[in-house]
Amino acid sequence: MSIQVIGVSKRFGTFEALNGVNLDIQPGELIALLGPSGSGKTTLLRVIAGLEQPDSGRILFNGEDTTNTRVQEREVGFVFQHYALFRHMSIFENVAFGLRVRPRALRPSEAEIKRRVMVLLKLIQLDWLSDRYPHQLSGGQRQRVALARALAIEPKVLLLDEPFGALDAKVRKELRRWLRRLHDEINLTSVFVTHDQEEALEVADRVVVVNQGRIEQVGSPDEVYDHPATPFVYEFLGNVNLFEGRVHNGVADVGGGRIHAPEHRNVADAAATAYVRPHDIDIASAAGASTVEATLNHATRIGSVVRLELSRNDNGAYVEVELSRERFEHLNVATGNVVHFNTRRARVFLAENHDSDAA
Amino acid sequence: MAAVFPPTPMPTAPLQRPAARRPIRWAPIVLTGIALAYLALFLFVPLAAVFFEAFKKGAGFYWDAIREPDAWSAIQLTLITSAIAVPLNLVFGVAAAWAIAKFDFRGKSFLITLIDLPFSVSPVISGLIYVLIFGLQGWVGPWLSEHDIKIIFAVPGIVLATIFITFPFVARELIPLMQAQGREEEEAAAILGASGWQTLWYVTLPNVKWGLLYGVILCNARAMGEFGAVSVVSGHIRGETNTLPLHVEILYNEYAFAAAFACASLLAFLALITLAIKSIVEAGPPSPPTPLPKSGEGGVLLHKAFGLARNN
Repeated sequence: MSIQVIGVSKRFGTFEALNGVNLDIQPGELIALLGPSGSGKTTLLRVIAGLEQPDSGRILFNGEDTTNTRVQEREVGFVFQHYALFRHMSIFENVAFGLRVRPRALRPSEAEIKRRVMVLLKLIQLDWLSDRYPHQLSGGQRQRVALARALAIEPKVLLLDEPFGALDAKVRKELRRWLRRLHDEINLTSVFVTHDQEEALEVADRVVVVNQGRIEQVGSPDEVYDHPATPFVYEFLGNVNLFEGRVHNGVADVGGGRIHAPEHRNVADAAATAYVRPHDIDIASAAGASTVEATLNHATRIGSVVRLELSRNDNGAYVEVELSRERFEHLNVATGNVVHFNTRRARVFLAENHDSDAA
Repeated sequence: MAAVFPPTPMPTAPLQRPAARRPIRWAPIVLTGIALAYLALFLFVPLAAVFFEAFKKGAGFYWDAIREPDAWSAIQLTLITSAIAVPLNLVFGVAAAWAIAKFDFRGKSFLITLIDLPFSVSPVISGLIYVLIFGLQGWVGPWLSEHDIKIIFAVPGIVLATIFITFPFVARELIPLMQAQGREEEEAAAILGASGWQTLWYVTLPNVKWGLLYGVILCNARAMGEFGAVSVVSGHIRGETNTLPLHVEILYNEYAFAAAFACASLLAFLALITLAIKSIVEAGPPSPPTPLPKSGEGGVLLHKAFGLARNN
């Protein structure tokens, strides 16, 4: 089922949680709402679920206006960050709940309920725990039960609020692969909220980057990582070095280094910031036309990569560089050495408050 | 030049084996002793005295004192009063706690303050309020007497005053509990399609049932034992508007000590039963499992909340 969010705004007192959000979600997609805490991503999810009423704007399910449909009738599956399992019910009863509370005419028979619950418990590989209670389960198991419970009502969309937020790193990784596989199997339109960029990039078909109640960018994981639309997305997704400088007709001068920025070729002179990923920086063997001189503070080996921390000799700013192990050994530099770096790839954004792009 | 210090003897073996004899720790013994002495003096002695005085003239006299018509009527009135006040306050308490803990609305803190009112007002004043409203010189008193409805100096007044005095107990017990449990389970139930009533019945109440039971026990204890407010509105008509505490006072004032203590022992006995139930409740399992009723087993849950059955 498709979901359309049209101009949704929501305030809590003076806090603007959502500010005119528009979003189209295609049937069968797995979408990640990614943003820092307080960015409004959870509020957006709750508005879609019907747990919050938007102050303005509409929510369409399959083109049908559901803004004023009651939560009970939206047929959405929702997985809460802290699971919200019914603590006084067994795992079986938790999953059966959505079927048990149906009006008598729509309620499956006891045998059918049992069959369906056991199918779901097998799907989450916890059928052997059906008599246990939530407090007897581990975090990862509870999360899977919460998912089975949400799926029991055969929802049209599945919404997950920080589904792996409360789990430790290993379980988290396992569960998100499992979620991806599950999604590929049942192909249910799904939206999950996360503040973990790695999680969003690994699991989702498309990533929606949210900041301060607005959507900064929507795109595939590669798109948002490789071509961030705004400085915020650049900084939020992955590590990035910032070089302050000025742009003159398509070339950014960031203190020695020159970075080509053809998108600003019509800008005569403006303050700008270049965003460069650590792995898009290389250490040159000698000073060149567009290299910057720096001192190597220290080098840390992390698995197959080496992370270097440099400080620029002209202004003392720190620069983070990531090299492959081989490249680093080939360079043969040691802590305290003077090195020259250049940027392979960068994105230049003009300074804020500067209406420049005369293009 | 160099000062000669006496050589310090090297400890060859520990002088005391630490495990063999521990020093006596006086603090816990003294503190426990003080607490026990205090309890004995102010609680056990009076309690024992009540039963001692009650049975002083023999079990036969005790029975007669209880079966005496005025005493029997006081017992009945006490039971009727709490049988009306406790269920009403149970419903009110659940409704108020539910509204306060699970919903946001204007005037919430005002409502919480209002619920505490009976705790902060002297019971005598609470009784007087009802006399001022329903009494002959009160606001609606003349209208009531025209229509031959008696509230003050009659059973309805006693019930009203008791309800007023006891309404915070259930709500006060539930509000912090429900607030601590948050709203997520209710939201989950709603998303799964449960109506408000289903959510209350199957999710909210089972989660608070021990607190609810505790509140009901306290509420009942107070409803049966209330003296001040009831004394003001009752009029002390023997055999008609005397509750058990009032009856005890009358007997005592008439120097019928043995009879007074016999009736008092009933109240004391009731308090003991209440305490016993309370400690059973407190020792109850932290999250006693309650299966969701199958189709057509509607009222089973509330029944379970009040029965002490611990079924797994």
